[in-house]
Amino acid sequence: MALRVNGEEREAPNPRRNLLSYLRYDLGLTGTKYGCGEGLCGACTVLVDGQPLRSCMSNVGAVAGGSITTIEGVGTNGSLHTVQQAFIEESAMQCGYCIPGFIMAAIGLLEREPRPSRDTVRQALSSNLCRCGTYLRIERAVIRAAGGPR
Amino acid sequence: MRDAGLSIVGDTAPGFPARQGYGTRAYGNTSPGTPLARWLLMRPDGRVTIFAGKVEYGQNIRTGLAVEVADELRMPLSAVDVVLGDTDQTPWDMGTFGSQSTARVGLQLRMAAATAREALLELASQRLDLPREDLVMRDGSVASNADPGRAFTYGQLVDGQTIEREIDEEVALTKERDFTVMGSDVRRIDAQARVTGRAVYAQDVLRPGMLFARILRGPSFGARLVEVDASAAEHMPGMVSVVRDGDLVAVLADDDESADRALSVIQATWEGGARGSKIDIPGILAETKRDPVAVQETGDVDEAFRHADHILEATYYAPHVSTLPMEPRAAVAEWDGDKLTVWAGAQRPFGLRTELAGMFRVPESDVSVISMEIGGGFGTKSWYPTGAEAAKLARIAGRPVRVAYTRQEDATEGTFRPAALIEIKSAFGTDGTITAWQCEAIHAGPMGYIAQRGAQTPYAVRDVAVHVYCANTLVRVGSYRSLGAAANHFARESHVDEIASTIGLDPFELRMRNLSDARYRSVLEAAASRFGWQSGVPPTNRGVGLSIGEDVGSYVASCVELAVEGREIRVRRVVTAIDCGLVVNPEGVRNQVEGSTVMGLGGALYEAIEIGEGSILNTSLSRYQVPRITDSPEIEVVLTGDPGAPSTGAGEPGLVTVAPAVANAVFDSTGQRVRELPLKRQLR
Repeated sequence: MALRVNGEEREAPNPRRNLLSYLRYDLGLTGTKYGCGEGLCGACTVLVDGQPLRSCMSNVGAVAGGSITTIEGVGTNGSLHTVQQAFIEESAMQCGYCIPGFIMAAIGLLEREPRPSRDTVRQALSSNLCRCGTYLRIERAVIRAAGGPR
Repeated sequence: MRDAGLSIVGDTAPGFPARQGYGTRAYGNTSPGTPLARWLLMRPDGRVTIFAGKVEYGQNIRTGLAVEVADELRMPLSAVDVVLGDTDQTPWDMGTFGSQSTARVGLQLRMAAATAREALLELASQRLDLPREDLVMRDGSVASNADPGRAFTYGQLVDGQTIEREIDEEVALTKERDFTVMGSDVRRIDAQARVTGRAVYAQDVLRPGMLFARILRGPSFGARLVEVDASAAEHMPGMVSVVRDGDLVAVLADDDESADRALSVIQATWEGGARGSKIDIPGILAETKRDPVAVQETGDVDEAFRHADHILEATYYAPHVSTLPMEPRAAVAEWDGDKLTVWAGAQRPFGLRTELAGMFRVPESDVSVISMEIGGGFGTKSWYPTGAEAAKLARIAGRPVRVAYTRQEDATEGTFRPAALIEIKSAFGTDGTITAWQCEAIHAGPMGYIAQRGAQTPYAVRDVAVHVYCANTLVRVGSYRSLGAAANHFARESHVDEIASTIGLDPFELRMRNLSDARYRSVLEAAASRFGWQSGVPPTNRGVGLSIGEDVGSYVASCVELAVEGREIRVRRVVTAIDCGLVVNPEGVRNQVEGSTVMGLGGALYEAIEIGEGSILNTSLSRYQVPRITDSPEIEVVLTGDPGAPSTGAGEPGLVTVAPAVANAVFDSTGQRVRELPLKRQLR
């Protein structure tokens, strides 16, 4: 079966293959992280047709025909996405392990809601975990990427 | 093997045990005849590479060390490259813990960079035929003061040369007023790799021909494997082999899911192991306390208690908590003949190398451990059995093997913060002067240094007796941000608040009345002032609380505002003042204190492991609550350190004041004195 990953057509022989495992170990796209395997931490978040999805809880068959974007597919030829840039400007990271998941969730949010309130940002990111505790910075980064608070 | 350019070599960082006999055998990049490790290399292209055995797990040490070197060398930060935690390339290091990276290795690298600066000045002096006083260094060049057009870049100065200099420990370090980078807010130099997914963690290491392993784990602590039947696994698709090596039983497969499936059909029989669902950890601590250490003993507390106006006795308890870094442990091992390479997320890469060399009876020089970016450590990744597991399996399989823990496995095979039971008895006058202080702190596990951290009282009390003890533990305990200091501070700062309420004195006033140390007084004043602390405001559902602390040589004070609604505690605002001496990167310190605050709130409010039937019941994130973005309060960090004082740690101190300040604010709001963490479980 075929699917698009970061704009490229890819073959996936086994529809039951876990989506996170497929991305990381079959395609080598290791920017998407394993954090809990239960859909509870958000580290594995990718976009499927623009919507955030916990890849650890999905399989290749479930997203067949869809267009998948991972952190490696964000931004265009050498220039960062505004959300990535905002994370850098706000120093919204420590160990960085959770950050790709947060960025994907934030991009998904801004697609739906280009000028979210602080509260909307918090709600949208409330099931992404950062154990280093950089939440305030992440919130500020998303608001900055949206061009300021609503 | 010598690289072109200017190398600066030296001993391991000052203050580390290398000075007391670890000696030169321990250096990572030591080859015979070059007993000193290389700390810095100025390359002919004008870039400088610095080498440190520390690892990066979020504390931003890569940027911090680069900043220090850029300033000493008068060159742009963008021209500094940093190599960390690689036993083949970096100086030996004991491990990344105890907030020592800036304090010790940072100082060593500043001396190395200053030594390089002096060597570059000498080279320029010869090339320009000018005395050194007539030269100026700026932006990676040395120029004539009189004629700035006469200049050489650092690259030009070292081009074609291979020079080695030893660190000059007497070298003049750059004065604070001449800092151009240090002390100003600097963004992480590794930020772009983190936001693009290019930062490589141990979980991300994939080698050609690599097998995916899963290891069979016992059902309860201490259970012994009696029999194993792996026949159902052996012919499953994707399976390569089932390995049994003593107690280690593992499946090796071509991909991760095949390994998961094969593991799930193995039939194993276990015997022994812990049982029982009602486990009384405070009781175990009290019954098994041993190895007393007198942390503080002055005067005669018994005598003081006999003449006291007031006496207060109370017992405090902090449970085991899960460290839970976002990245579960992982390691990939690869053998080439008798040479072993392990990629891991270990906080002690050199310690892991020693362990592996001993295990396989090969010289340390044949073992390479490379610590990758680490997805959170907080102390627990000093314990890294994953490396040896991967190395054993790779040896048996004859192929590279990846061992990557699941979330649950990382909890059960990792370490927990020791539970602690702390009894405090104090005597004090009606004016609030504390006259006697007796503290008996029992921390789970065999490591006395954990219990000692933060056990002493900072108050100017004449008669003091503080003892700490080790005790039995059901779970594996280990390092956790600030070690025992979090529990010790919770007990002490809660108790001091109880003294204040007993005599009706404001908690800020009470502390000031008993503090003589200027650094404690100044952080407390700074936090209270920024917070807008007001004495004598009657309790409402808005509670305020404060606490002070010291950890790894840094002084902290926190003020907290919260609201209690039923059994919900909503922390709204936290102000923490920190004095960690010279601040290399204020942005880095603020980020660390904010993070410590959030982590501290988890332990204060809801984190605790549950033990039943000999195992940990809440290893899943569905049953173990950690702080979320929706729980994060406003956090303000006030930096009060004297830039003339040596840098001390910033990664841990911000945590120690959180739980007591929150508990004190809960008391302020509700009148309930909760002496047991996590607070939410105890609230009536």
